[in-house]
Amino acid sequence: MSAPIYEVEGLVIDLYTPTVSVRAVDGSGFHVSPGETLAIVGESGSGKTVMTLGPLGLLPEGVAVDLRGTARADGKDILSMSPGDLSRLRGGFFGVIFQDPMSALNPMLKIGPQLAEQARRYAGLSAEASRKEAVSLLARSGIPDPEDRYDRYPHELSGGMLQRAMIALALAARPRVLIADEPTTALDATVQAQILALIRQIQKEDGIAVILITHDIGAVSVLADRVAVLYAGQVAEEGSAIDVLTAPVHPYTRGLLASVPDFRSDSASGTKEIPGIPPNQAQLVAGCRFADRCDQVEPQCHTRRPALQTVGVGPVPHRVACPVVIAAEGIVTHD
Amino acid sequence: MKKWPWAILAPAILFVLIGIFSPWLMTHDPAAQDYSALLTGPSGAHWLGTDYLGRDMFSRIIGGARTSLVAMVFVLVAALAIGVVIGSFAGYVGGKTELVLISVIDIALALPSLVIALALMGVFSGANFDWMSDYWKMIVALTMAWWANYARMSRAVVVAELQQPYIEAARVMGASHIWIFSKHILPHVLGLVVVYASADAGALVLAIATLSFLGLGVAPPTPEWGQMLVDGMSYIEENAALVIIPGLALTAVVVSFNLLGEAFALQKVPRAVRGRLLSRKKAARSAEDVARKAVEA
Amino acid sequence: MTDAIVAKGLKVHFQTAAGLVRAVDGVDLTVARGAFHGIVGESGCGKTTLARAMIGLQSATEGQVNILGRDRAEWAKTDRKGFARAVQFIFQDPLGSMSRRQSVGQTLEEPLLIHGQGDAKARRARVAELLDLVALPATVLDRLPRSLSGGQRQRVSIARALALSPQLLICDEPLSALDVSVRAQIVNLFARLRDQLGLTIVIVAHDLAIVREVCSAVTVMYLGRVAEEGAAKPLFSDPAHPYSQALLSAVPSPDPRIEATRPRILLAGDPPSPRNPPPGCRFSTRCPVVEPRCREAEPALRAVQHGGAAACHLADAGVHAMI
Repeated sequence: MSAPIYEVEGLVIDLYTPTVSVRAVDGSGFHVSPGETLAIVGESGSGKTVMTLGPLGLLPEGVAVDLRGTARADGKDILSMSPGDLSRLRGGFFGVIFQDPMSALNPMLKIGPQLAEQARRYAGLSAEASRKEAVSLLARSGIPDPEDRYDRYPHELSGGMLQRAMIALALAARPRVLIADEPTTALDATVQAQILALIRQIQKEDGIAVILITHDIGAVSVLADRVAVLYAGQVAEEGSAIDVLTAPVHPYTRGLLASVPDFRSDSASGTKEIPGIPPNQAQLVAGCRFADRCDQVEPQCHTRRPALQTVGVGPVPHRVACPVVIAAEGIVTHD
Repeated sequence: MKKWPWAILAPAILFVLIGIFSPWLMTHDPAAQDYSALLTGPSGAHWLGTDYLGRDMFSRIIGGARTSLVAMVFVLVAALAIGVVIGSFAGYVGGKTELVLISVIDIALALPSLVIALALMGVFSGANFDWMSDYWKMIVALTMAWWANYARMSRAVVVAELQQPYIEAARVMGASHIWIFSKHILPHVLGLVVVYASADAGALVLAIATLSFLGLGVAPPTPEWGQMLVDGMSYIEENAALVIIPGLALTAVVVSFNLLGEAFALQKVPRAVRGRLLSRKKAARSAEDVARKAVEA
Repeated sequence: MTDAIVAKGLKVHFQTAAGLVRAVDGVDLTVARGAFHGIVGESGCGKTTLARAMIGLQSATEGQVNILGRDRAEWAKTDRKGFARAVQFIFQDPLGSMSRRQSVGQTLEEPLLIHGQGDAKARRARVAELLDLVALPATVLDRLPRSLSGGQRQRVSIARALALSPQLLICDEPLSALDVSVRAQIVNLFARLRDQLGLTIVIVAHDLAIVREVCSAVTVMYLGRVAEEGAAKPLFSDPAHPYSQALLSAVPSPDPRIEATRPRILLAGDPPSPRNPPPGCRFSTRCPVVEPRCREAEPALRAVQHGGAAACHLADAGVHAMI
């Protein structure tokens, strides 16, 4: 596989509000290569968005942030970049799709000119060419009658069309990494399927790297080549989508998958649940973050933080941070 | 953000305490005249000297605080009660009733309070109102001038709260209108208007003094700061303290109450007050914003 | 035994600045006693409005709803409290449905106070019982709803709805504000309560997999009308209405191996606006197997193979269209 194009290692992000401090990301990392889709899976508060967008300087507003670790985009260290360079990188190298299209689109401007402006600034096109580019981006994003939509304001488009327009906007700068942050959460099932298909098609055609941040296992299953499961700021398990989704090892991954019923398989054993609630990340813990909710917990889990161990050596290594299950089930490790 | 020191609220707190305990604090009868000591300066017998009738200035200032405080409390309570009832009713009932009441409130708000009060005092000076003393005429006039603001706020809070899903939840539980209003909506309304009233008190003290200054409020033997200012004016060359002392008292109280209001607005209220009052005010203010937007839309 | 809910010709229209919205536009629906009945569909299909109209939070423009054999409007008017004791509602946003100044204890006690049930001691005992029922620890009693997690909040709102021992519980998207792993907890709680208390539960949901897992019956709505209805498992395994087929096909499998091979139906475009529904079959503008007659006459619900009914010209007891 080709070298990673966006790579984050040993990332620690502390967020401070006037009343609490939270370790949102706790020594985690990920990498993604061109032509590959990485899904970062976690529930709300797991730190999945902060981990992915934090190194780019896209952080929640109104909180103080302490960020340590390394992050490289195309081999360049982005944590030591000047704000100006980082801003150019964000606009051109990375394209971001959010859950809410209105967070990316300016409601006061027509859709088309917003796209054209983006294409002119980052892809260096002339005014004439950028207009053409904008129309073709709209068409490519599956918006019918793009010439007409070019002159529409965001509020004149339906939810699914807006989502498409935002994807077009993210593509306008010809990014090499497309980050999709919960791109389908707010959409209806049939529109969700359309948007996932669109992202998949774009990725195939352009060979760009896609990072999908989501809690929706279905979306992961549709899009992802690789998966990293994040729990309370730490990577619990990572590997190929097939390994992680069909042969999970970490008790959290297993619990998460068991809580998602699949109506196509008839092994109707009912929805299983993970007891308890995600931990309060204001408290730093020495051991495994999942220990309090885990049904296989052992004393060592509360004292020693589990490291990621390689349990499968395919083209994509399958790594799990749970020595208890690995030992109990006699899984061979390859570290 | 830095909190303001308690000291800025001292005059307001002092005013309230002095007003409450004035009978025990006065060294003399504030109305007792002593022709052997006219316009004297401060002395052991008269700490702040005496006025042109030989009345003890210290006792008159103390007594004046009580006059203002009592009148202020009457007006605030009455204005608040009327405002909350009319405003809440308008907001809760809605429809045409609301439109009519809003128009009345808006007209009342369009005119400066003091102008309304003065106009009413003019009306009350007619023979039909002889059964009321000047003091009560002033209270009524100021109440009529002051209620609209509370009505507007109450209505805004009620309208905003009514849109909250928990009101629907209460309805689903079988709660009556009276239950919903008294248990869920009224506490929000009071939370906001009481905070606002505490900041509004300074303006009211000033209005009371103004009416008395113009000879429309408190009648002479009762000690009152506005009255004292007018009386002192004639003797300003003999003893400027007659004007300066009530003037300073008035200024300190008004400024202190206004700072209290400012503190609420800027969220710089001294810590102890903040927790309880501000949380209500903030909630209520955002509710008000919602309501205002809804009205504009 | 009478059915829990019978709605006939129910219409709910709203006047908005942009025109008349036909949120619910002629729905007939029957919910059997003891059923766990799911109502599914996409946004704008009217499922939430339907649920709200069933309990009277939305007044019906036309049609009638019978609850436990009695006319809803009449019952709620003459015996508000009695109606509240029989039917309760669970809101999508548990936090918004609770007063932010009341503790959990006060929130749970409120229905008992409204209905004047028991003295202080009896009410405390009942509140403790309710916490137990929804598996919440007694330590939450003094906390404000805001300080609870999403799952805990929804448990409190369920406990409050159960305080008056209703026979029927109507829930508007009670899962959508919750995290995936917590959703399963709440769904299992509903299923347990139904068995334990003999409740009838109507649940509005957009998570089809969960509906299939726990519901006994399901109604699929599209643009203010019922597209298809029937027992959950047979309907999900052999949907007769093209819209149901597309809706189910849109739900991805959590297994990437299935996902890699399974054929997918992708509908074109978004659902039309309920302000301006198309003539004929409402799905005709997006239906892949549309025929000319679909654009002319609106299909009625007809019995289909899985034992339920579908509103499609191409579906009857013998065959149905496959897309």
